[in-house]
Amino acid sequence: MSEMLTITIDGVQCTCEKGEYLYDVATRNGIWIPVLCRSDAFEDHRACCRICIVEVEIRGRSKVVTACVYPVEQECTVYTKSEKILEERAVIMALLAHRAPESERMAEMNKFMGGTGFDRLVTIDNEKCILCGLCVQACNSLGTGAISTVLRGTEKKVDTPYDKPSEFCVGCLSCANVCPTGAIEYTQTDKTRTIWNREFDLLFCEECGSLMGTPEAARHAVGAEGEVPTVCDTCRKKKLANEMMQTYRYV
Amino acid sequence: MTEVDQASRIAEIIEACPADQRFALAALQDMQHAFNYIPEEGLSALAEHLGCSQAHLYSMATFYKALSLTPKGDHIIKICNGTACHLRGAMNLATELKRDLGIDPGETTDDGAFSVELVNCLGSCALAPVMVVDGTYHNKLRVEQIPGIIETYAAQGAEEVAAHD
Repeated sequence: MSEMLTITIDGVQCTCEKGEYLYDVATRNGIWIPVLCRSDAFEDHRACCRICIVEVEIRGRSKVVTACVYPVEQECTVYTKSEKILEERAVIMALLAHRAPESERMAEMNKFMGGTGFDRLVTIDNEKCILCGLCVQACNSLGTGAISTVLRGTEKKVDTPYDKPSEFCVGCLSCANVCPTGAIEYTQTDKTRTIWNREFDLLFCEECGSLMGTPEAARHAVGAEGEVPTVCDTCRKKKLANEMMQTYRYV
Repeated sequence: MTEVDQASRIAEIIEACPADQRFALAALQDMQHAFNYIPEEGLSALAEHLGCSQAHLYSMATFYKALSLTPKGDHIIKICNGTACHLRGAMNLATELKRDLGIDPGETTDDGAFSVELVNCLGSCALAPVMVVDGTYHNKLRVEQIPGIIETYAAQGAEEVAAHD
């Protein structure tokens, strides 16, 4: 086991392993730090939204760091709600909210953090995206790699190559689910789902009829050689339990 | 360049590139150099060769200004808009080109003969204003000289077509 450290976060004594991320230590001890571009689903974090900034004081010197990627290397005192942090965070939040004026969650968070001003800045119409890139990370981690950030500067956006329906997209909705601002839109009817301009059929469980996603996503999950499941996880477990009961009748 | 030529050229470029993601930009530059743009087939073939996603390469190709995803003209005119050239009237050159060719910087003429680009600095500030056509520097340019230069290249293009036939 690696070295243990004791740090103080907002006056609370917290024990952690050396090298653990500050955000993880704080959440484990019930201290809330706001985040946008961080997802528990991934091991490496992006640290691009900068909402999770906190003040770290080591030997009397304090600095501002992003908690989600700051490894605790020595004993320190952390302030997540100091005046300086609240002020700086409000500015970052206000700027992000200004970029994504259509996102309800961003507006809500901005209101909560009291970010005001910046009315002189031009907002982007119909924009919900803050370009954190979580969706791209999710798509890549699945091995589909259907979306990426395209262009740069003020024109930067998340899109499929050539703005065309991607042949690699499996319609799994990972990108939409991981998005912190609800920027990735999709529509779903009884039989089809449309995302990134591509229409997918839906796959239903043969036993209970519950939704299992798309045939493409199921195929991607088991690989080219694997057998695509026809029943959902719950039904599969039930079936297995029944079979076991039949085999070991008196257990 | 015919489609067969293009396909074999793409195959050549990809074969010369080691199958590692870090060579992606080099291969994209080779393609840009060979075709004056990066064809869609080239991008997907390269993605397969390097074992990365097409979206990743597309992201790179849209990020770098030196790479283009739309076909460029036979002659590429670069107008320097660095500080020195800008002060010495680079934008007047752009206006003159607009008058002669009917295109703004970043566009290509309908017949595919010329593309006009605005670049940031060509490193020849002492010769401002500078315009580079197909790698040839035209320096200390005056607006009146532009129609002549365009004509030379247009005639050159016509000769090449005649030689081909």
